[in-house]
Amino acid sequence: MSTSALVVTLVTFVLGALLALLTIPVLVWLERRVAGLVQDRLGPNRTNVGGFRLGGVVQSFADVVKLLIKEEYYPSHIKTGRWLFMLAPVITFVAALLAFMAIPFADTIIIDGEALRMSPLPIDFGIFWYLSIGAVGVLGVIFGGWLSHNKYALLGAARAGSMVISYELPLGLSIISFIITYNTIDFNAMVQFQSGTFFEFIPAWGVLIQPLASIILIVSLFAETNRNPFTVAEGESEIVAGYMTEHTAMKFAMYFMGEYVAMNTASAVIITMIFGGYNLPWVSTDMMLENFNIFALGLMVAVPIVITILIRWMKKNNTVRPTVSTDAGRNFETKVLTIVMISMAVFVEIILIYLAFLSENALAQNIAVTLFQIVVFVVKLMMFNIFFIIIRWTVPRFRYDQVQKLGWYYLLPLALLNLFITAIIVVGVSL
Amino acid sequence: MSQIKVTARPDNKLMNRLYLPAIASGLKVTFKHLWTNVNDSNAIDVLEYPEEQPTDITSRYRGLHRLTQRTDGSEACVACFMCATACPANCIFIEAEARDDGLDEKKPKSFFIDTLECVFCGYCEEACPCDAIRMDTGIFSLTGASREDFVMDKEQLLSHKGAFGEEISCARN
Repeated sequence: MSTSALVVTLVTFVLGALLALLTIPVLVWLERRVAGLVQDRLGPNRTNVGGFRLGGVVQSFADVVKLLIKEEYYPSHIKTGRWLFMLAPVITFVAALLAFMAIPFADTIIIDGEALRMSPLPIDFGIFWYLSIGAVGVLGVIFGGWLSHNKYALLGAARAGSMVISYELPLGLSIISFIITYNTIDFNAMVQFQSGTFFEFIPAWGVLIQPLASIILIVSLFAETNRNPFTVAEGESEIVAGYMTEHTAMKFAMYFMGEYVAMNTASAVIITMIFGGYNLPWVSTDMMLENFNIFALGLMVAVPIVITILIRWMKKNNTVRPTVSTDAGRNFETKVLTIVMISMAVFVEIILIYLAFLSENALAQNIAVTLFQIVVFVVKLMMFNIFFIIIRWTVPRFRYDQVQKLGWYYLLPLALLNLFITAIIVVGVSL
Repeated sequence: MSQIKVTARPDNKLMNRLYLPAIASGLKVTFKHLWTNVNDSNAIDVLEYPEEQPTDITSRYRGLHRLTQRTDGSEACVACFMCATACPANCIFIEAEARDDGLDEKKPKSFFIDTLECVFCGYCEEACPCDAIRMDTGIFSLTGASREDFVMDKEQLLSHKGAFGEEISCARN
């Protein structure tokens, strides 16, 4: 194994761990903040470390500390299978985490003629990996609920089981439509397909080529992640916390974090499969590499604009109303963050100028494009996560029999029809 | 034969059963709220509580108790035990003694209200014949480091000021 391969592997692992794990506190904060803003409240915005509140995201780290020092309580009525009861949250969490690892964060980078995949697991059957590992997650839910020996937990587990039989078939069938369209089971090849165009000018995103399959995929993945409107496995008003009822402290936190990792993974799969993944529409990786100077110039214009908008937004919103006596260090925080953002922008500009005009190093240009793709991926990922969250505060819940009806009476026939039409068109085109 | 009454659903049209148009219009509403509030979070009508204090407390608000005074500054209370009798939480503890300034026969020697027990129902001020106990201080938050801090004695209760202009007892002055 060459040095470059080792470095890329390490970088992708770190990146995968960061994107999957560090997004948990961000997502928890985002969920509460978006909930607040949608309902005309503020949400958590006070917790700070030395005056730095970063919009309130520090709150999540305080929550983590709280969960860590909570009492670990074992229900004494659980006589058999206690080890599985303990293991169940870990199964859910690890399954969601592993499923994320097949997602490409950037296009395959070629160093010294060696093609290196920018995903922690360099596999070319990503979609199968996601389907198989993602489906294991619900086992943790069912084990945890069943072994709790608690009627609410059992009902929650039964509902989770009923969910699986409702969404798995439409999910699989809609994915088969995509596999036929893209003619690949490799996530990276799917993104490469989507960076092209069809009818000369429309970006070949899955959501535009396969609108019906895209809707079925999104709905099924909402069901898979147990997010609203499909939160049937738990329900405050009916079955308390569902399968989590008997789990305390870190065991609960594992389920809780697993839920957010699963949501993050689902977002990543959706953007990779139908929203062009790490690439911008119309722009493929080769295009960026061939016209690197134009790409660098465009980025040189875009970065200051984005930073200016961010700074202006922060100056306007990281303040308190005149009626409030103290701003509790918000002014200082705004100043420091402004300096940090401007220096970052200047740093990026200098590097781009160097790469575009002074050095013609192909490897460095490759790395710059890869970094840009990672940024695009993260932005898209966060945007879809926010979509997940807004949906939660928009749509009321389905009953679990309604979910089954939706899955079997509507989504399954539609997915089959779509598969049929796709197959006909693909065969017709290739003839 | 069948007694089951089937109610026709007037909105059972394809458009409504598709869900997606309804979800889209719902998303429009939630996203509009999110967007306006992200762009100007200070325009959200909320109270930044510890820094901003509520201004909408009315004279009928039942806040922390106080004992009213007479014009000479002495307590209006005549230790009749009406409030303690009316109290559903049994949180008022009075000890009476003779009053020798000629205004009345009795006055409280000690007067304790355990605000941890108190349910702030206002029965005490309704029961009081002398307008001696009132809940018009406007104080809605009470903090302390121990349980004892929450037991108000006579001096503390007398020191609380009415928030709505009426300082002197209307019945004993």
